[in-house]
Amino acid sequence: MIDVQKITRRFGALTAVEDLTFQVTRGEVVGFLGLNGAGKSTTMRMLTGYLPATSGNIKIAGHDVLTESLKVRRSIGYLAEGVPLYREHRVSEMLAFQGRLFGMKRSEIKRRSEEVLDRVGLSDRSRSLVGKLSKGMRQRVGIAVALLHEPEVLILDEPTSGLDPLQRVGVRKLIAELAEEHTVMISSHILPEIEAVAGRLILLHHGTKVADGTKAELLAKLGGSHLKLVVAAASAKPNALKEDLQGLLSGEDKKREGAVFVREAGESIEALVRVEKNPSASIGLLASARGWILSELSWHEPSLEQLFGRLATGSAEDGLDSPSERAPDYREIVEVKA
Amino acid sequence: MNGFSAILRREVTGLFLTPLAWVLLVAAVSLNGFLCVAALMGNGGDVDGTFNFLLGSSGAYWMLMITLPPLLTMRSISEELKGGQLEFLLTAPVTDGAVVLGKHLAVVLFLAVLWSVVPMYGLVLEIQGVSPDWGQLGLGYLGAVLVSALFAALGMVASAMSSTPLLAAFLGFIFNITILLLPMGAGALGGTIGGLVKALANKLNVLLHLQTSFMRGALDSADIIFFVAWTGLFLFAATRIVEGRRMWS
Repeated sequence: MIDVQKITRRFGALTAVEDLTFQVTRGEVVGFLGLNGAGKSTTMRMLTGYLPATSGNIKIAGHDVLTESLKVRRSIGYLAEGVPLYREHRVSEMLAFQGRLFGMKRSEIKRRSEEVLDRVGLSDRSRSLVGKLSKGMRQRVGIAVALLHEPEVLILDEPTSGLDPLQRVGVRKLIAELAEEHTVMISSHILPEIEAVAGRLILLHHGTKVADGTKAELLAKLGGSHLKLVVAAASAKPNALKEDLQGLLSGEDKKREGAVFVREAGESIEALVRVEKNPSASIGLLASARGWILSELSWHEPSLEQLFGRLATGSAEDGLDSPSERAPDYREIVEVKA
Repeated sequence: MNGFSAILRREVTGLFLTPLAWVLLVAAVSLNGFLCVAALMGNGGDVDGTFNFLLGSSGAYWMLMITLPPLLTMRSISEELKGGQLEFLLTAPVTDGAVVLGKHLAVVLFLAVLWSVVPMYGLVLEIQGVSPDWGQLGLGYLGAVLVSALFAALGMVASAMSSTPLLAAFLGFIFNITILLLPMGAGALGGTIGGLVKALANKLNVLLHLQTSFMRGALDSADIIFFVAWTGLFLFAATRIVEGRRMWS
């Protein structure tokens, strides 16, 4: 549905997007992630044909964005950042204008307006002035406008930006529903927002793609998920515990260097096991067999922020300021010497 | 011209929803009404002379021509580039040219409504039993609309070049005054550049084309072509500037 081949966009000396390639298949929901200035909006503008790429090709629904721009625009529903609507118009007038821009008949505009307003939960607001609506409602009007001509592809640039938590939940739910019928590209710098709706993630940093895949694939690639185990010191020996935990590992987990860390902490022994899948059930059986007294058995997965921080900084550090947000750093753990 | 009619319709509606447009309309109509009565009383009831005064020879006519179009076009592109509405329009199946032309024609229609007050005075006088020369009055009105279209096209260029509406309006005034006064000032210039300016001034003599045709009541198609061609050229320039600014947005 979307085929992007080696696109680059330069603004004078500044390279906003460099050598970006990706494909999106029909019905896929792809989240574009990146810090402010990463090139998300520039890429989206290139997808819509608003901004031509300096080099590279983009095809949407089989049409070239540059040579068949008007056809591409017909197959896209685009919500630009900041929801640029005409605030002096009523919601129904805004929808009618969009319909006329896309050459829709009057009866079709009326029917679709009712449908999309119902879809975004604003049926009772069709006579309201766009400028008088709350930001969350305006955002939903923007989505309704983008949906009016039944586009195959929906491109939403920062659709939850500036909304309060309740409004964000509403818009997020709406996007999740739309994902069932459309190919959706959504951008945000608020990573949990994307995590909630997009099946696949493309991470941009300084205009280049640093990762592409589902969250599970990114986790597998970058690691970081782990099991934490706290055992009463009286019920286990650290070395034996480490050996037993290592014995549970298989496949890629087994090959990973330093997969099991164990340390003594007063009356307890703490262990961290770096694995891709949660092995709690096996640990439970093992604990029962060995007679370990468990005071904690918890599974931890890194958040998208932590993964993104690592990718963006190109190191094991996640780039976040707050220690509570940071991914566990295994180097901080002093391993028990055998 | 995909979407042209949709844009024209929205722009006309948008203009009539703006308080500034109504203020300008009321001010211009009041000024023309006052001038009409004053001229009729001053020239001993010469109806045709009065309409000639209102549609070309008065200072107030040129003052309105220079100021009104830039005030109406100032928001057209500069504000929408900044606010993102232009991005909304240009990601719909609409060409850049259709957007510029739709916005321009909306302003011209508004100014046509504004200047239509003068033929209305003619109608009032007709009802009162004094018949004006309708041919001359009609051509004077057509001339006013064509001059408005030319100056509005310059206003579109100014709006496309500016980042704020205020700057667009100021630039529009400067463009209009320059075009209007160029033939008068160019005569004094010498040298190669002066010669080029003189040649341009001869080709772009708005006052001359209005006086020789529309104000005399004798229609010459060359004069219509003059206004249409220059208006088209400035609209083309505005479209290219919009394209250029889009590339760097």
